[in-house]
Amino acid sequence: MNELLTLTGLGLFSMIAEIFNFRKAIFPVIVLGLLGLLGLCYMDWGSYNSTVTHFSMMKVDNFSIAFTSVLTATALFWFMMSRSFFEDQTSMSDHFSLVLFALTGAFCLTSFTNITMLFLGVEVLSLPVYVLTGSRKRDVASNEASFKYFLMGSFASAVFLFGTAFIYGATGSFNLENIATYLSTQPQLSPLFLVGLLLMLSAMAFKVGAAPFHFWTPDVYEGAPTIVTAFMSTIVKTAAVAAFFRLFYLSFSGIHGEYADIIWAMAALTMVVGNVIAAAQNNVKRILAYSSVGHAGFMLITILVMNDFAAKSLLYYTAAYSAAGIAAFLVLYLVGSANNGETPLNAFDGLVKRNPIMAGTMTMALLSMAGIPPLAGFFAKYFIFVSAVENGYIGLVVIAILSSLVGVYYYFKIIIAMFFGKPDNLPTYFLTPIHRFLLLFVAAIIVLTGLFPDFVMGLMTI
Amino acid sequence: MISQYLFYFLSFVSVMSALMVVFSKNPVYSVLFLILTFFSIAGHYFLLNAQFLGMVHIIVYAGAIMVLFLYVIMMLNLNKEDEPGTTTMSKIAATISGGILMLVLVAATRSVHGMESPVADSSQIGSIENLGKVLFAENGFLLPFEISSILFLASMVGAVFLSKKEIR
Amino acid sequence: MEQLVKFIPLFPLIGFAIIGLANRRLSKGVTGVLATGSVLASFAIAVIIFMNRLGGDGQAVTVTLFDWITAGNFSAKFSFLVDNLSTMFLLVITGVGTLIHLYSIGYMHDDDGFRRFMSYLNLFIFFMLLLVLGDNYLVMFIGWEGVGLCSYLLIGFWFKNIDYSSAAKKAFVMNRIGDLGLLLGVLLIFTATGSVTYDSVFAQAANITIPVVTTATILLFIGAMGKSAQIPLYTWLPDAMAGPTPVSALIHAATMVTAGVYMVARSSVLYMMAPISMDFVAWTGVITALFAASIGFAQTDIKKVLAYSTVSQLGFMFAALGVGAFTAGVFHVVTHAFFKALLFLGAGSVIHAMHHEQDIRNMGGLAKKLPITHATFLLGFLAIIGFPFFSGFYSKDEIIIQALAHKPIIGYLLIFGALMTAFYMSRLYFLTFMGKFRGTEEQQHHLHESPLSMTVPLMVLAVLSVAGGYLLQGYMEHNLTLGAAVTASTEIEEHTLHGLHNVMWGVTAAAIVMAVIAYVLYVVKGQRPSSDADMKGLEKTIYNKYYVDELYESLITKPLNSISSFLSNWIDINVIDRLVNGTGGGINALSGQLRLTQSGNTGFYIVAMVLGMALLVAITVFM
Repeated sequence: MNELLTLTGLGLFSMIAEIFNFRKAIFPVIVLGLLGLLGLCYMDWGSYNSTVTHFSMMKVDNFSIAFTSVLTATALFWFMMSRSFFEDQTSMSDHFSLVLFALTGAFCLTSFTNITMLFLGVEVLSLPVYVLTGSRKRDVASNEASFKYFLMGSFASAVFLFGTAFIYGATGSFNLENIATYLSTQPQLSPLFLVGLLLMLSAMAFKVGAAPFHFWTPDVYEGAPTIVTAFMSTIVKTAAVAAFFRLFYLSFSGIHGEYADIIWAMAALTMVVGNVIAAAQNNVKRILAYSSVGHAGFMLITILVMNDFAAKSLLYYTAAYSAAGIAAFLVLYLVGSANNGETPLNAFDGLVKRNPIMAGTMTMALLSMAGIPPLAGFFAKYFIFVSAVENGYIGLVVIAILSSLVGVYYYFKIIIAMFFGKPDNLPTYFLTPIHRFLLLFVAAIIVLTGLFPDFVMGLMTI
Repeated sequence: MISQYLFYFLSFVSVMSALMVVFSKNPVYSVLFLILTFFSIAGHYFLLNAQFLGMVHIIVYAGAIMVLFLYVIMMLNLNKEDEPGTTTMSKIAATISGGILMLVLVAATRSVHGMESPVADSSQIGSIENLGKVLFAENGFLLPFEISSILFLASMVGAVFLSKKEIR
Repeated sequence: MEQLVKFIPLFPLIGFAIIGLANRRLSKGVTGVLATGSVLASFAIAVIIFMNRLGGDGQAVTVTLFDWITAGNFSAKFSFLVDNLSTMFLLVITGVGTLIHLYSIGYMHDDDGFRRFMSYLNLFIFFMLLLVLGDNYLVMFIGWEGVGLCSYLLIGFWFKNIDYSSAAKKAFVMNRIGDLGLLLGVLLIFTATGSVTYDSVFAQAANITIPVVTTATILLFIGAMGKSAQIPLYTWLPDAMAGPTPVSALIHAATMVTAGVYMVARSSVLYMMAPISMDFVAWTGVITALFAASIGFAQTDIKKVLAYSTVSQLGFMFAALGVGAFTAGVFHVVTHAFFKALLFLGAGSVIHAMHHEQDIRNMGGLAKKLPITHATFLLGFLAIIGFPFFSGFYSKDEIIIQALAHKPIIGYLLIFGALMTAFYMSRLYFLTFMGKFRGTEEQQHHLHESPLSMTVPLMVLAVLSVAGGYLLQGYMEHNLTLGAAVTASTEIEEHTLHGLHNVMWGVTAAAIVMAVIAYVLYVVKGQRPSSDADMKGLEKTIYNKYYVDELYESLITKPLNSISSFLSNWIDINVIDRLVNGTGGGINALSGQLRLTQSGNTGFYIVAMVLGMALLVAITVFM
């Protein structure tokens, strides 16, 4: 609850700060506030067994704390990376308050115990992101992406509400516990229930960008400003997939068998589609956009497995992916901003000679995403595969491994360009101290979380 | 019995007017049909013993929001010619896919007919008193109520941000 | 009190982080103090723990820092094991480490990469501490790889010199071969016992079949051969002398190269179960000891002589382990750390004084010019040849006695090795410090004693080289019971041991005789090694290290190169490329088809989503 108040308060502060000429204070206050939030998470950690719910709408358990910590840390990095992007704009205050409101929504998504809160969380998270996507007002691509995202997101929200109505019609409650009780006590399910569940499943699949509901992802990711894309591919994705997991874990796991095949197929399709299309792209931003679709597929496997270990693996995967994502998108942003916002593959030629720190961190991030040991991404995939194999989904693991091999192919395309390309007529980069620190720090995190996976996994000791 | 007839009538009106919202070529007509849709949905609320919600629905949506819509449309001066053409192909595809989804949903839920509702019916369910209790009670919807204020705040900031002129 | 152990690796890590991050913002003085201080702090804690354990019951304590990896049925904790073995290593690493850090302040002071150097040293200490502290093979493996990494970084520290970087590359390759063996060994142990933690592995050791234990221990030993430079993987160590001298002293003499000895001693329970592995270890050790010693006869580079002597002494240690005298082996690690670090640092001081001249043919008569260096070097020299009551005397004798008692042939060979050691070390000492100066005028003019920060470590190490053996002898015997060493030594009758001790007096006397012969040859007769061009016959062969490098070159490197060029030229183009391109082409084609779905048309996307939903519902509800 304190986390919620902190985030809202920060959002309000940065909204009104400009009125009182506190412009200079916004960034430090946000950083301090997010650090404080991490502290709050630390203090609340371990209260899993308490049955305390907040107004029977939220429960701050270890699941929620763990994901909130990952989200907050990612948000902290994101603010550090985006500071220069927003500071030269007059609307910094608006931008930051929008992002903080989005984070409030993300927090709701990790701790809800009621479908109402889930819906509100999704909306509070999405609305600011629609706006941020269109934040380059003079750029047609940005406008188009924003509008497209808004249209399809509203459509998904409508589907979500439609499904919720069906669920309510079957169970008479929005409360996840009541729904779970309904499932365990009712001998015969209402036909409304399954339909409602599938509609909600579709809506959540849209939010995490899983096939066949992924179509918005590449277009929106490419159209949005790179900084916003970083936000979407790390924080929005983590929050959405955590909400997906939590919803199904807390309420629907009783009839797992009914929808397991659907999620199986969805995960397989998402992994294959995302990775295979990414292989043919020649624009790095688009490669990362499609690869994020592929990663959503890997995350879906945990929702299929649906046990405590799967929850831990999901946490680890999102943490690893967020770290790599922040690093990769920061480099992408830096390269793009020196190249009129364009990021074709050949803009990365010989990056290692032009700025070794950028090239090194980018390489780490890409290797981690590709799942090369001993980086974080390797263990992330490994844990998910272990949990899947233990539950007998061997076929899916085979598909997952094959598609991650395709992933290795296109990630190495970028790495090869960076190391063996000829850097003719390309600019050299000078990093601001904050960006240099961020790159090195994130690179260290990628290595260290790989070496010590239980630091992250242990957050969710249930 | 009369309420059943009323239900069918209102449903017919709301579906038809909703379709007209989409099919009208003139945006002003669309908005007017939308207002009609809202009225018929308000009628549904009354039928379900939710008098307060029905009234609020009319006041807020039909009264305030739609007037704003009309105002904006007039300001933008949208004409028939400005409407970007949609291909026949996409219309057909939309109809077919929507039809299929409806068919599947109806088929999947047809056996629900005659089943008991999990929520007890009461004539007082939509009264202001009950609504207030549900909204503001300790274990009611107090938190979502507050969170939705954040949602509105965020959308306001967003709207202002998008429409604000960039000053350098 | 053992809980304090957490802080031991922490200090060097913090030191590394601060120096590495601050880089040029710190002055050289602050950097030096910080680097040395962090290791000194660790040393202080190690001493506290050691003293505390002296009074305690000596039980091993496990200190868990955090759960490390938990996946399925595999779990590993990141925890430290504090027992008498690891405490001993802690003391040596942090103690000698502190001295060498101090020494480096003086030695490296004028180097541009001073801060980089100090941060690498700190990082090395951190990994070395992980290696000996870990309570399971995985933590040890992290440390193992980490010290390897630091070792390459430091060997290639002057990376602008191409020879130096190729020495680093050689060390890298040789160690990879060894590490592969180690990794396979650990994996085999894991599959056999389901655990990598020492305690549970050893508890279940009895359930493993003998062939499996033998394979696993030999694989582990291959790792040790790489890291501790045993035949046939020893050639990287002499080349590693390309690194700055403090590195040679710390990493390539006192600590890292003894990691193999530590690992075998740690796994003594497993080795005791596998007699074949024990023989293998013992024979590898003794052959290395003799072989390297014989190369030492004809080397003319002061550091190379010391390097081969290190390889030879490591052979002694492994021979000790191989005959079941684990305690004696570890004891020799400790005393060797003292006197070999001293000798290297002394050599460094000489090189410093001679302006980077390393050839002993151009030295001589340095005793008067470098009094402190000379005195301390002399003490180190006496320690290594086993002069009575110096530290080497105790540990080396213990090894030879145990070998004579258990595997007499090895014992005799080791005695021979000890005599060879006495001779070539005397040769080194006399050629360097006695006789007339043979260098250039200019060198003679600039000869100077090293600064205090370099001589203080020399003096401390000299004291330890003299007294260390005597002081630690009792402790080693009573507190370091490794494997079944106790049962091994009780088998021998007391009077046999007594008799063997008498034999050792003879050996010691013979060693002194060797030294005297060397004195007569090199000082009285004034003989000096021939210049490169004049060498012939055996001397030339030995000088060229029996052409082992050339042998490897023609036996392994060249065939490998031609195979790999064959692979890349033919197989790569005709098979792999086609395969990969085929697959890649297939994926590209598929991708081309799939990306058509990404039309950018929102209407189409929504239609697809609606159809998708309809499909979901239809499949789930109707099938």
